[in-house]
Amino acid sequence: MTRQQFVYLYCVAGREPELKETEGLSKDLCVVCHNDLYAVACKVEEEEFGQEGLKHNMADFEWVKAKASAHERIIELVMADTDVIPFKFGTLFNTNDSLKAMLEQYGDEFKMILGRLEDKEEWGVKIYCNPEKLKANLGNNDSEILKIEDEIKSSSVGKSYFLKKKKDELIEKTLNERINECGQESFKLLKELSFEARINRLLPKEVTEREDDMVLNSAFLVDREEVGDFQNMVDTLRMRYEDKGLFIDRTGPWPPYNFCGLSREKVQNE
Amino acid sequence: MNNVIAKSKDVTLLEILDRVLNKGVIISGDIVISVADVDLIYLGLKVLLSSVETMEKLRGSPFISPMQEAK
Repeated sequence: MTRQQFVYLYCVAGREPELKETEGLSKDLCVVCHNDLYAVACKVEEEEFGQEGLKHNMADFEWVKAKASAHERIIELVMADTDVIPFKFGTLFNTNDSLKAMLEQYGDEFKMILGRLEDKEEWGVKIYCNPEKLKANLGNNDSEILKIEDEIKSSSVGKSYFLKKKKDELIEKTLNERINECGQESFKLLKELSFEARINRLLPKEVTEREDDMVLNSAFLVDREEVGDFQNMVDTLRMRYEDKGLFIDRTGPWPPYNFCGLSREKVQNE
Repeated sequence: MNNVIAKSKDVTLLEILDRVLNKGVIISGDIVISVADVDLIYLGLKVLLSSVETMEKLRGSPFISPMQEAK
């Protein structure tokens, strides 16, 4: 019985990757070369990645976790050797020949993207906010809030009730303003040190499993020579925000997932 | 301390999933995983990581309103 196999594409590079230390990764990892491009791929079983199997597996978190992590590790391995264009999870071809045909069709665009990505790294920057800490910090610094607090002390019970409500609203408003200010300030300062920058959707607490709220989720494409300055800027911002109840978190370098062009719209239009 | 480390690992896994499943070059290979299948990924995540509302929140707008999410 012959079992059908697919070709799973991880990434495309402009130079041949050495693929050292593939221990623990797929044994069927291979490099398909065509049109001066190097596609890092592996053979997968239809059973696992075919329409039916995939539908089943995608609902299995452990499977998704293992496969997505392997996807990332393999691209990072290639990234150690050369600049890469990372592909989305589950990009599949029937044969090496159809993968080559794709490298032919999009070759010019891939080369252009690789040229743009040369010597650059993607870094992720997230800001988290502890609202209680930020609120406590606001109370001590905001003249309007201090003024209301003074009024509350010298007011009747009835009046102070309304003043307290007004104070809570003011705190909420000031809180949002402060978060926006810090988010915009850090995004702007980090963008100045980057080649490109993106803001992504925020991830909720249930998913991050953190006690504080994510208030900025951003990604930056940074020139390798600028990475030191970029990191110093993140450290500066971290110190600046520390006492304010805001925590700035940096991760990377990542494969340039956020900066590989070839948008969904464009592909769909073709 | 261990707890903190474990949590930061979870966030990294989350970041990996968020990038690998949602970003990167999207090209129609021979076998196209349809949008419905991509939603299935979230179904898996949703069931195992979070509450039913998470998907709606995940698709919510960024907190910082003047800046739009990159496409």
